[in-house]
Amino acid sequence: MRLRLAVATAASLALALSACSSDVADDDDDAKPASGASATPEGPWTFTDGSGEVVELDQVPTRIIAHAPAAAALISYGIRPVGIYGDEPVDTDPNLDGVDLTGIEILGEEWGSIDVAKASTLAPDLIVADWWPAEKAHSGLENSVKAKSKKLAELAPVVGPSQGGSILNLAEGYEDLAETLGADVEDSQGAEDKAAFEEARDAFVAAMEDKDLTALAVSPTADLLYAANPEYAPELLDFTEWGLQVVTPDTPDPDFPYWENLSWENADKYQPDVLLIDSRSFEEAKKTVAAQPTWTSIRAAEAGQLIEWPAFWLHTYADYADALTKLTADLADVDDTIGD
Amino acid sequence: MSAATVTATAAPRRRRASGLAAGLVLLAALVPVLAFLSITQGSRDIALRDVLDAFGHFTQSSSVDDTVTVRLRVPRTILGLLVGAALGLAGTLLQGLTRNALADPGIMGVNAGAAFAVVGSITLLGVSGLGFHVAAAFVGALAATALVYAVGSLGRDGATPVKMALAGAAITAGLTAVTTGLLLTDLAAQQQYRFWQVGSLAGRYAPIVTGVAPFLAAGVVGALLCGRWLNALALGDDAARGLGVSLGRTRVVLFLVVGLLCGAATAACGPIVFVGLVVPHVARFLCGPDYRWVLPYAMVLGALLLLGADVLGRVLGGTGELQVGVVLGILGAPFFVLLVRYARLAEL
Repeated sequence: MRLRLAVATAASLALALSACSSDVADDDDDAKPASGASATPEGPWTFTDGSGEVVELDQVPTRIIAHAPAAAALISYGIRPVGIYGDEPVDTDPNLDGVDLTGIEILGEEWGSIDVAKASTLAPDLIVADWWPAEKAHSGLENSVKAKSKKLAELAPVVGPSQGGSILNLAEGYEDLAETLGADVEDSQGAEDKAAFEEARDAFVAAMEDKDLTALAVSPTADLLYAANPEYAPELLDFTEWGLQVVTPDTPDPDFPYWENLSWENADKYQPDVLLIDSRSFEEAKKTVAAQPTWTSIRAAEAGQLIEWPAFWLHTYADYADALTKLTADLADVDDTIGD
Repeated sequence: MSAATVTATAAPRRRRASGLAAGLVLLAALVPVLAFLSITQGSRDIALRDVLDAFGHFTQSSSVDDTVTVRLRVPRTILGLLVGAALGLAGTLLQGLTRNALADPGIMGVNAGAAFAVVGSITLLGVSGLGFHVAAAFVGALAATALVYAVGSLGRDGATPVKMALAGAAITAGLTAVTTGLLLTDLAAQQQYRFWQVGSLAGRYAPIVTGVAPFLAAGVVGALLCGRWLNALALGDDAARGLGVSLGRTRVVLFLVVGLLCGAATAACGPIVFVGLVVPHVARFLCGPDYRWVLPYAMVLGALLLLGADVLGRVLGGTGELQVGVVLGILGAPFFVLLVRYARLAEL
């Protein structure tokens, strides 16, 4: 029975994880009127979902319900959903920061809980959310979600780009999806965001070229230090590709491979130049580690080289641009001779 | 347990005091052995020599091995022994007090009270930091215990075992509902609260250990003095009264001791239920119905069980650790089934 608690703990981590997986929105997708305002194209409509399934409809969908991050992405291209559901309250979801939700119904503000009755009154013709290949489900419809909430999938087809090896899979995927829905992608906030992202990425790459930095992404808790496995954290794979070498832990938890669980006795197992600390608990983590006698056995911690890791939530070009700009600035003064 | 033992217990007989004392000394002798293992073994490989050295030259500039040995493993070992002893005793007192063979600290609302206080202090008062949480958990556990007692004492007969069990269940349900409600609306609180969801000895260092140790020690001493009362209560309320025991006052004192033990244990480690449930049964199985012997046996067995499970979790957990609550669940459930199946639980 305690075992179930352990599972529950893992699940709550997973939950936090998927909670963060939401996306982002752009600040001002100004005046594009309701969904597909730029003249909804003629049907039929087809889209290849992240699962590989090809969804075909006679008409181009216009009444869309979207998972919060997906909504943010679509809105940046002028496609306004009729309803959204999130993994956390709208006010605190980083993906919705600055997104204009006027006129959009809120169908859920907690992971695993969607008001399907209210959703059905919106008569949706499409539901949009990330596809999670590891869990074989779309966001908000995962296995452990309440059966009642999963009925959302019965209202309309569910599509979305797949989570995977790069945040750009999502950013590009939503760009493509918006285009099929009739968005004028070239002339949108999203296009400006993409340009900003490319600039931020180039600056990041340039900054990393001058250094030889290794990083370990961690989520410290009072009883264990979780070391992130980049294989399941697309932004970490991106950082590595762009010149910040993120350490891959050698023995991730077989049951929950997002992390290697390090006891505090083993905190010094990896010695990176810099520690990337899970953004979901950044402030709390700083207090947690202060009480850990072995925290400073990590030389990067001893040297105070701690940086916020935008963990598991990025989706859009706009948010990625901001995150990379901040990272580049944070990494500017980091000493690259600390780690192994 | 062999068939021979089973037959022996089936026909209760008086155990000789000298035999019981020898058994207790034998068990107690295992405590330093286990403590030695707990300090030398763990998820980090440290050579025995380095462990011993750590005590010799522990200074500010010490190595990671020294830090792990002295600042992680030593307090953890002390806490494991104290909390194990406390839970073993608390379970024995509770089962004797309520004459309910399945009573454990959870029945008194202790866990629910501690959880509510921790979550409430995070979400409503906005405090954070492990020290605050532990203090809040302790206060919450004690307050819940007091509330259970107060509600259970309403009515004509005072605090009867049945009413206390019902009051405990009701208050646990109520507090848990509020706690869940608070958690659902606050992601940050969920992450901090995770620490209390599964009982664990990890991450509790010197300040926490020294903070709760006096309470645990006081509770342990108090509990060991309660044997005579429990013996009287075991005969039934009327017989106890006939022996000159004041039922009301006895129950108040026993409740207070249990609240102290469970409150401090839960505050430090989170909910650890199995020890308090199983240990009293094993103790009674070994030494018969006399609580003056059952209590010290339960104390030593509780300490051995909790610390033993923790050492196991640390050795088996790879680079991480299995929480002691998880290990106890894996080991404890089948063990409890065997115990119930073969050892005919003592009537309470």
